[in-house]
Amino acid sequence: MSKELGSTILKADRVHKSFGDLEVLRGISLDLAAHQVTCLIGSSGSGKSTFLRCCNLLERIDGGTIELLNHDLADEQIDENAVRRHVGMVFQSYNLFPHLSVLDNVTLGPRRVLKQSKSEAEAHATELLARIGLDAKANEFPDRLSGGQQQRVAIARSLAMNPRLLLLDEVTSALDPELVGEVLDLIGDLAAQGMTMLIATHEMGFARQVADTICYLEDGLIVEQGSPAQVLDNPSHASTQRFLNRSMD
Amino acid sequence: MTQSGPSLSATEEPINLYASSRPRLRGRSGTIASAISTTVVIALLVILIASPSAKPFREGFLNPHQMWLAFAGDPMKGILSVGKGFLLNIWLSLICEVLVLVFALAIATLRLTSGPVLLPFRGIAIAYTDFARGVPVILVMLWIGFGVPAMNIPVISTQSPVVYAGFVLTFSYSAYVAEVYRAGMLSVPRAQVQAARSIGLSSRTTLRRVVLPQAVRNVLPALLNDFASLQKDTAIVSVLGVTEATHAAQIAAGVEFNYSGYTIASLLFLAVTVPLTRYTDRIMAKDRNRRLAGGL
Repeated sequence: MSKELGSTILKADRVHKSFGDLEVLRGISLDLAAHQVTCLIGSSGSGKSTFLRCCNLLERIDGGTIELLNHDLADEQIDENAVRRHVGMVFQSYNLFPHLSVLDNVTLGPRRVLKQSKSEAEAHATELLARIGLDAKANEFPDRLSGGQQQRVAIARSLAMNPRLLLLDEVTSALDPELVGEVLDLIGDLAAQGMTMLIATHEMGFARQVADTICYLEDGLIVEQGSPAQVLDNPSHASTQRFLNRSMD
Repeated sequence: MTQSGPSLSATEEPINLYASSRPRLRGRSGTIASAISTTVVIALLVILIASPSAKPFREGFLNPHQMWLAFAGDPMKGILSVGKGFLLNIWLSLICEVLVLVFALAIATLRLTSGPVLLPFRGIAIAYTDFARGVPVILVMLWIGFGVPAMNIPVISTQSPVVYAGFVLTFSYSAYVAEVYRAGMLSVPRAQVQAARSIGLSSRTTLRRVVLPQAVRNVLPALLNDFASLQKDTAIVSVLGVTEATHAAQIAAGVEFNYSGYTIASLLFLAVTVPLTRYTDRIMAKDRNRRLAGGL
């Protein structure tokens, strides 16, 4: 667990977010250094996903600040497309583009956003697909792939942009149990290679393995944060304990 | 087990699994039955068309000589060729289809944008769609085709009737096709847009590379349907005195007091629209299979 952490990538300070009358985030503060892997745990509706979506501006925050590489995301001069170029996001339901082949799914961003040439983008994509063991599927369409394979392609699609931060939003929740392992293994590899990640997850065993820091969220607040050993084995809050007991069943 | 309570399968009474009505004909008797019914229907049609009492019908609508006369035209009698006229129907519909595709896309995109600057344009787009879909094409045709030349505006009032006709068809059909496009774009899940935006694609690139390709695929049958309809409605151009198939057939009917020219004009339209609708059906069936197969 003694991983060399780098400079600050993300700095969230008392982040508030409401949908109508419902206050989903009620003052989330969280720092993330380069190469750090932080897992957000907590029951559905605790604000994990919403917080992730605020980090790549899919949602706008109502209060507090989020700084990405020392840029205040609330600044009016900020270009949301530029932010998303550096912050990858993987969704629970993969959201691959069904009309594009696996290869074209992965090269779309590099070609249209980074303006890479077709050959350059495809060379990089083929390399990525080989890394996740799906180079043989490059010309297949997403609906021919299993859920686990689709989710790995979705991760490759994000990686193709060389993101500084990767947001993973319950990426195994929609998968059949026997397909969860291959996706978690891939994320574990990324962590070992030093990818900075913010992960919302329900997989406690996986969080313990891969996370440097675990944050337990409840009702839009971080109730407890610390190393996996601290939070999972010796939670200091009763509500964390209750959540863990329910999750371990 | 005791027999005291009511058992769930106590009765040994035999059950009847035979159909109470006459069973369906299958196999050889089925073939014979369909042969008989086909023969009867054909015989009835022959009686209707070929019987002596149907002579006026044959003479008025199906006279081969008259059909050929109308198709080829006869300058000596002042009869214009329905066949040549039909070429105008074809190229007018082709040009209009291209224009409609482009214009309708602009309208649909405009209606789905959310920028505050475009608000008045969205209002205009909605008003236009309501108007163009709500007023009969023939009315707009008369309105523009006779109204605009009467206004004596330089350039605009001196165009050929074909130009007004093309404008009206494009104007009317773009409203329908814009709605088709819009339905298609709305059928693409929001998650697709979010995934596209999350890899840094701009909203314009997202529309072009992610939303539109999926939208068009979803509504292709509806688009082809509207095109078959547009191809047919080029006949309305005849009210402006443009020599297309319908107008030529009208002249032949007037000169010869025979309506076989209308028959040949109808056959020409059918020769285009039937293959187009069959093709649409095939695409729809393929699409349905794709969706069913894709349903995890």
